[in-house]
This record gives sequence, structure tokens and C-alpha cells, in this order.
Amino acid sequence: MAYSSERSQDARRGFLDPRTKLTLVLVLAVFVMGGLGGEALRPVKTILSALPFALLLAERQWKRFARGILMLGIGYGLLTVMPFLPRALNYLALLCGGILTRFVVTVVMGEYLIATTSVSEFISAMEHLHVPQAITIPMSVMFRLFPTISAEWKSIRRAMRMRGIHLGGAKASQVLEYQLVPMMTSTVRIGEELSASALTRGLGGPTRRTNICRIGFRAQDAVLLAGCVFVVGVWTLELCGVRLW
Amino acid sequence: MVELKNVSFRYGMEESGNLHEASLDHVDLTVQDGEFVLLTGPSGCGKTTILRLINGLIPHFYPGVTKGSVTVNGRSVQERELYETALQVGSVFQNPRSQFYNVDTTGELAFGCENRGLPEKEIYARIDDTVRRFGIEKLMDRNIFRLSDGEKQKIACASVDVAGSEIILLDEPSANLDHTATLALREMIRLWRARGKTIIAAEHRIAYLWDLIDRAVILRDGKILKELSGEEKNALTDEELSVMGLRSVTPEAPDEINLPALKESDRTMVLRDFVLSYPGAKQPVLNLPELRLAVGEITAITGANGAGKTSFLNCLCGLEKRCRGTLEYEGKRYDRKARQKLCFMVMQDTGNQLFTESVLDEVLISLPKDMAGGKERAAELLKRLDLDGFPDRHPQSLSGGQKQRLALACALASGRKLLLLDEPTSGLDFAHMMETAELLKQLRDMGTTILVVTHDSELIRACCGRKLSFDAR
Repeated sequence: MAYSSERSQDARRGFLDPRTKLTLVLVLAVFVMGGLGGEALRPVKTILSALPFALLLAERQWKRFARGILMLGIGYGLLTVMPFLPRALNYLALLCGGILTRFVVTVVMGEYLIATTSVSEFISAMEHLHVPQAITIPMSVMFRLFPTISAEWKSIRRAMRMRGIHLGGAKASQVLEYQLVPMMTSTVRIGEELSASALTRGLGGPTRRTNICRIGFRAQDAVLLAGCVFVVGVWTLELCGVRLW
Repeated sequence: MVELKNVSFRYGMEESGNLHEASLDHVDLTVQDGEFVLLTGPSGCGKTTILRLINGLIPHFYPGVTKGSVTVNGRSVQERELYETALQVGSVFQNPRSQFYNVDTTGELAFGCENRGLPEKEIYARIDDTVRRFGIEKLMDRNIFRLSDGEKQKIACASVDVAGSEIILLDEPSANLDHTATLALREMIRLWRARGKTIIAAEHRIAYLWDLIDRAVILRDGKILKELSGEEKNALTDEELSVMGLRSVTPEAPDEINLPALKESDRTMVLRDFVLSYPGAKQPVLNLPELRLAVGEITAITGANGAGKTSFLNCLCGLEKRCRGTLEYEGKRYDRKARQKLCFMVMQDTGNQLFTESVLDEVLISLPKDMAGGKERAAELLKRLDLDGFPDRHPQSLSGGQKQRLALACALASGRKLLLLDEPTSGLDFAHMMETAELLKQLRDMGTTILVVTHDSELIRACCGRKLSFDAR
């Protein structure tokens, strides 16, 4: 059968609308990472924390799921063994464990957003939210730059190992600088070439863009967005001194 | 129709007094509708600048001082906005890593049409049409970061095709491609020719499209040196070309060159168990139970993109933990860690392996730690590699060829016996390619064993004595 881009776009449609994913990242950042709402919201936060992992499973992102669980496991592990450690290590374990348990969930959610949203879907979602191009375009370039930066980083690390520059070697103090200089040069260059290419393809014109990707709210979006409204609602009530449980 | 009338151009800012030398000097060029024109000439001759003037990146993106007029279909590129020019002119660039805005291939094909607001139905129809004509069904709905350079360049061409531009500009599109991928590129250009598109290509490697073009424009130092068409073009010999700083017009696959992998008289080094597979992959990327290579010679390693050549270099250098192979060299056995100190690799993207703030420092950190008279030795090496004029320059500010020579200087400074190079001449003009070849021969004569991964037949002809071909499985 001949290739049909329309059919394949339908098949590729993500589980959630990008706007739902963005809202979830925001809610997680504020309540789980930022700790807004304190102890009273604890049960709600537990459910929120499980969400990104469930979503990763739903979209078959096994590797990211395993990595997230592992990091979280290390975090809680550190907090568990912390009281039995000698003093100096005790603080270190508390610090690392605290940071991991607080940040990992939101980071995993962010990863989920980036891994499962194409640039086109992202731009389309932002346009539906009436975000101006001046914000959408740089943000969409960031999407594109993350994988580029990680590829460049790997290549530079390789080159350093080949040339015998190691952490812990005689030149350890300069290692970071050595990594950053070529990194920045190549990222700037790639960013520039990327912009040039996008401009020759008509990005930035006054015509309203169209998008071939499929986005839009479905039942699962409605459920999760209602969940977000609920969390904010509980928090507002709590601020007013009303306790639900 | 594309018209350049008496055009001169200098990069830089006039106000800050920071102007570079003239990139173009009173150039007149007219390209008729449906014509295929090749711009060629040594690095820095101004061919890329001409393309940027036509697609509007000059002056709208790259600042500089333009004199004269550039028009596309009678309208001034300078006075129009970039997105207006983009409706008629499509460009394919040299670097396959940096011309994609999307992460998925299908989104990338749609991008140009989405920007001009075409209805979705029409975009789908256009994509399907291009996919069918270019035969790229297998590349659709893929992550662009997982494609080979050849496949990326196909997507770049396809996205210009979907946009339906009447004028197509190609800026060294073959620089990173192997022989097979270059032929695929040629095929796409042929399809455009058949549809009557106007094509302007800037290239060093001219062999693959020499018989397709209507006219060759040879540039040097920002001026048009010669325009050739018809009989004149066909009668040109390789010698006349090399005088003008051009590469050969006879296409030759690296596989057609007849060189032994090993001669009987050769001293050899033995590689054992060089096997590398990625988790989840059915077949290993690399599978070499035993391989003998000549010591003290220059061996070319050829093969299609994806045949595992770069992986091979990484394994040999000891950069792949998963590869447990050993090397027997001059009576000693080297395991992975030991090989890191025996081999030096000049990578394809040389900029990523230069770390310090000055050319001199770069060589100094490569010298053995306890070496006496390091400064003198470094200065001597810089001189030998024609880099002695600027010991304080920042390595990242050097030209591509200079960066490569600096990496070679570091290789010499490190005193390592085995030198590996990954595509050292992709994107180099004739003179620079010959320079690299000469340099490699010098290093060989000083006792270095050299392995070059390359798809550049002219480089192989110029300096390699042995050749090993990696076949894609």
C-alpha cells in the first residue's frame, strides 16, 4: 500500500494533548518540586508523583521509566540509610536524598513532555493558546537543541578521553573549561545554521501557520485537567482554612 | 530567472569598522529558468556567498555590505522579506546535522508548507507525492537523529521538493556523503531537472553532477574566472582543472581503486576479537575476529555509510567499553586502556577535539608530561605544520583546514604511534586535499602507522598505499 502521511499522522497521535502535558509539568513543578501546600496536600501529591511514571508506561517509554524509578529509589534509599551513617556522610545523604526525591518526579514529567511531543505538535499547541511567535519559536528551537547538545557533549567527552584528559588527572582543574569551550562554540554554530535554514523555509512570515499534526482534547485530557483543577482547588480551600480530610 | 548585476560583497559591520575582505568582487551572473548551473572553485572563492545572496540570507541574516543588485524573477532580494523569497527559492545546506527544525522526518517535510499556511489536506498530498517519487517510504515517521548523513540529506532534498520551490540552491550537499549516497543525491537532482526546476549548486566534488549541468561557473577570490558550457565543458582535462584548483570530473568509486589490503613484505599488526554490538540490535555493528594491517603505511578504510567504519576507529582507540578486542603491535599486546595511549584520532568534527585557549597551549597539553624543552618542541611542530604565525589565536577561530593541521600537530606532539583519521577531506577543495595527502605522507615517512576512513577517491589515489573495504552486511 502506498505511503499516506495523513494516515501515519493519525497513528502517531500522542496519548495526551501537549497543552495537558504542559499543565501537568507546571502543577508538578509548583506542588511537588516547589512544595506548595505543605503536609496537608500529601495524599494528593503522592498521586501526582505517580502520574509521570504511569504516563511513561502508557507510551512505552521503558528506558525513561526505569531510569526515573532508579533515581527515585536511590533518593529514598539514601533517606532510609541516612540515620545509620556517620556524621559527615549523614548530611551528604540527606542532601542528595532530599534533592532526588523532590526533583526527580518533575524532571521525569519534563522528560515525558519532550520525548513524546514533536516540534510541530508543540508549535500547534502554543498557537492554540495564542502565545506569540516571539516566544513559541525560541522555545521550539530549544526542543530541537536538547538532543543536539547531548550528541555534541558525547563527542567532546570522547575526544577528551582520546587525548588523555581525565577527571582526577594532572589537568583536572581545567577539565570543565575544556569541555565547555568547544561545547559552546559548536552549539552556537549549530543554532545559527539552524536559524538560517528555518528562515529560508519561510519561518517567521505573517501568514497564519497550519499544522499537519493531530492535537486536541480527548477524554484522558479532560480527566487529567480536571485533576489539576482539583489540586489547585484543594490548595485554595486549605489557604482559606478549610480542611477536606 | 536569477540575476546578479555587478555585485560586490563584504561580510561584517560597516559602522563598527569591522569589515572583512571582499567575498565577491563585481560579479555578473544570470541563470535562466530551468537551467542547472554549477558554482565551483577553491575554498573562500565566494560560491556560498552567491547562494546566500540569492536566498536572501545575505543581507537579512548575515550582515555585510552589498553593492549591485540581486533579483529573483525580477524582484530585488534585498528589498523583499526573507519569507517572500522563501516562496520561490529552496535551499539544501552542507551540514546535515544542523538544517532540520523538527525532530521527526514527516514534520520536517511539512515544515515549509506549514509556514506558508497551506491547508493540511494539500500538505498531506504533497508529502505523499514526494515520498513516492523519491522512494523514501522507509525514512518516514523516523527520528532524524537516528538517520545516517546520507539519509538526512535525502530528507533535506525532499523537504525542498515538498515546498515546491522553482529555484533550488544546493550548498555543498555531498560534503558528508559516501559514494552510494552521492549517487542517490544525483538521482534526486535528475528528477528536478526533468521537472524543469532551476538549480544552482556550489560544490567541490563536481564529478557526480558534471554531466548533468548546463554550465559551470569557476570562481576564484570572489571573481568569475571562467564560464564553461557545452563542448568546452566536455573537453576539459583533469590537469586543466587542477590548475584552476578544481577536483576531478571523472566519478570514481573508492571500490574501483585497486590497492592491496596487505603486501607480503609488510610488517603487520594484528587485531583480535574486534566485535561490537549494541544492546537490542540483531547484528553486530562490527565483527572482526582477526584482522592484519600494515605497520608504517597509510591504509584507506572504505565502505558505505553505516558499515561500521567510525565504530571501528572508536574501538581501536579504546573508546568503546563494549569492545574487548586486543591489538598486537610491534610485539606487544595492547588492551582497550593501553590503546588509548597508543592511538590518536583526528575526528571528523575537529572543532570538538580542541579544548584550550591558544594554538600553542593546545600542542603543549599533548606533549608527554615530564618532557624537557616542551615549548621549543611545540614551536617546532607548529612550524612544521605551517601554523607558526599565530601561536596565540584561539583554536576555535581557525579555519577548518587549520583546525585539522592543529589536531595533527597534537598527534605528533603526543608521540603516539598510530594515527587514525575520520573523513579528513570531506568538504576540502583540491589544494587543501592535496595538502592533507602530502602531510600524511610526511607523517608516514616519520614512522607513523596511519589509517584513514574516507570516501574520497582522490585522496586515496594521492596518498594511500593499502586499502581495506568494509562491506555493509
